[in-house]
Amino acid sequence: MQIFSGFIALYLLTMSFYAGIAMSAIIEKLAPGKDVVTIFCGFLLYYFSVDIIIRFMLQELPALTVQPYLIKNIKRKYLVRFLNIRSLFHFLNLVPLLLFIPFSLIKIWPGYGGPAAVSFIATVVLLVSFNHFLILYVKRKMILYNWLMVGFFLVVVIVGFCDYHGYFSIRTFSSSLFLKLLQMPWLAAISLLTAVAAFVNSNRYLYKNLYIEEMVKPGGSKSSAEYTWLNSLGIVGELISLDLKLILRNKRPRSLLLMSGLVLFYGFFFYKKESLANNQFGLMIVGAIFITGSFIISYGNYLFAWQSSHYDGLVAGRIKWRDYIKSKLMLFLIISTVCFSVSCLYGLISWKLVIIQFAAYLFNIGVVSVLTVYIATWNYKRLDIEKSASFNYQGTGLTQWIHAFLILLAPGAFYLPFALLIDPWAGIASLGIAGFASLLLWDYWVEILLKQFDKRKHLILAGFREK
Amino acid sequence: MIRIENIEKSYNGKLVVDIPSITVHRSEITGLVGNNGAGKTTLFRLILDLVRSNRGQISIHNEPVATTENWKNITAAYIDEGFLIGYLTPEEYFYFTGKLNNFSKADVDEFLKTFDRFFAESILKSGKYIRDLSKGNQFKVGITACLLQKPQLLILDEPFANLDPTSQIRLIHLLKDEQVKNGTTILISSHDLNHITDVCTRVLLMEKGRIIRDLKTEDKILEELETYFQL
Repeated sequence: MQIFSGFIALYLLTMSFYAGIAMSAIIEKLAPGKDVVTIFCGFLLYYFSVDIIIRFMLQELPALTVQPYLIKNIKRKYLVRFLNIRSLFHFLNLVPLLLFIPFSLIKIWPGYGGPAAVSFIATVVLLVSFNHFLILYVKRKMILYNWLMVGFFLVVVIVGFCDYHGYFSIRTFSSSLFLKLLQMPWLAAISLLTAVAAFVNSNRYLYKNLYIEEMVKPGGSKSSAEYTWLNSLGIVGELISLDLKLILRNKRPRSLLLMSGLVLFYGFFFYKKESLANNQFGLMIVGAIFITGSFIISYGNYLFAWQSSHYDGLVAGRIKWRDYIKSKLMLFLIISTVCFSVSCLYGLISWKLVIIQFAAYLFNIGVVSVLTVYIATWNYKRLDIEKSASFNYQGTGLTQWIHAFLILLAPGAFYLPFALLIDPWAGIASLGIAGFASLLLWDYWVEILLKQFDKRKHLILAGFREK
Repeated sequence: MIRIENIEKSYNGKLVVDIPSITVHRSEITGLVGNNGAGKTTLFRLILDLVRSNRGQISIHNEPVATTENWKNITAAYIDEGFLIGYLTPEEYFYFTGKLNNFSKADVDEFLKTFDRFFAESILKSGKYIRDLSKGNQFKVGITACLLQKPQLLILDEPFANLDPTSQIRLIHLLKDEQVKNGTTILISSHDLNHITDVCTRVLLMEKGRIIRDLKTEDKILEELETYFQL
């Protein structure tokens, strides 16, 4: 999967390089007749604030890689510098270079002269490093971190709001700022100062706190929890609460849950007024399937692998596998029901949406969830749940792609024939009925899944043991 | 209790476990010793049906482990952290294990009271998830969860390895008590020859996947083992 993430990174880098070259052409197209450089400079401040937000989410601390060297005979000073400088070689820091260097060479050099272009590039590089070290420092100070993050988001929202309503314009501010830089290249010295200050600050902080336990995030006291509402389900309920704790207490699944919350907003992309009026439901069904079932798809992708670190214990323990499989299906049912309930708010836009979403919901809990559990038995890859989700492809394999592919195809197979031959509503009905019928066959599916699981148990176990 | 017949397991053509026939008797504490790579852990995994054997059969209580599930009702095992659920607090894990074995929360609390000394205040109400406990404490949690199930068969892989000296001695008493009071069959492995000869009434010596010696108490186990490992 290293290769895959490598490809994605390469793709993004190439795209930003092209975007960098095409930048002036794009701006001319979007705002004809205006000065390209002025417009470009106007967007720079936006870029750097978005950059900070992205860094908040994606940038990781390079702390732990240093552990093996700490007891070796290397001066701490060098170790700290190594850590800081090495962290600069990051995907996030390459993008702005590719975006802005071509532009400055193409547009700024001819118009404003060599020194201006050089100082412009220098400023971009320096501001990027400023962001970089600032975030490193802030992220290390975890207590500060959460509040700063909230505060920063608030500031961005407020400023954006004011900007939008015309109280003041960041664009004019930003363009005047950077245009001044182009006229007086020596102003780049200021950005040099800020970048150096951020670097020194980060260095100093690390130097003082170069102890493993201080570099690793501290955690508060953990307390036990019990979900009494699941008690009536007996062992199945117990297993579901185990899954819920897994989701809430581990980084990667937790961010998946957050994502499914965000996916609820997909409706604004997928539900178009015209298609609603004309009963063109094709694309809307895709949206509805995602909205009511994105969690099934994303969590189910690694259904058993989430528990890979303690699978031995589960299998050797006194769990009836019928209960185990039921608990997975029930978990999907519960979360899907929550998503569906929330998504009913779309009914305010049109009553049709509620019906479509209901059909998609039935299909999700009836067909997609069973399919997901079945496919999950093909996955033998161990997964470390405590690592973060973004750009994390550990445990990803062919199975995941087949899964995604099937989930996209399956609703189409039920909707399209009826929609094309009879009526879009017939397609929706077929989707809902298929889901409902499959739901009635629940016990039968459980038996099938059980057999499938039994067949693959040892392979799964062996795969999960491999670190 | 455990009957092993003709069992054979190999990885990549290398034979890891090869045992023609051996029986672990009921209500006996049996020890398994051997150097690293002798196949002890694999044998345990085979017994628990966590690894598929190439041939042969293992039964617990006359039930073949590979095809039935009822033996799980009387068996408890702890091999490594893979048996613990890292993101639970120790209490949650005990309640979960208890629930699987039809013990109520109150039953579990009652049971845990008897373990105060073993835990030495560092496990219950520690405000930590199991994954944040030290390895020794994780082991204690695992072993306690096993005893909590009131098993007829208890399997522990190197239980002494990560424990502090006090806990090691307590564990020896715990195991002996368990055997005397409940007639539990216990199978443990260890590198500590003193402990193993102290606890066990029978010791099986493993080498390259084979059980090469079957020692009973009256045979002066310790001396035999010491001469073997000096080679």
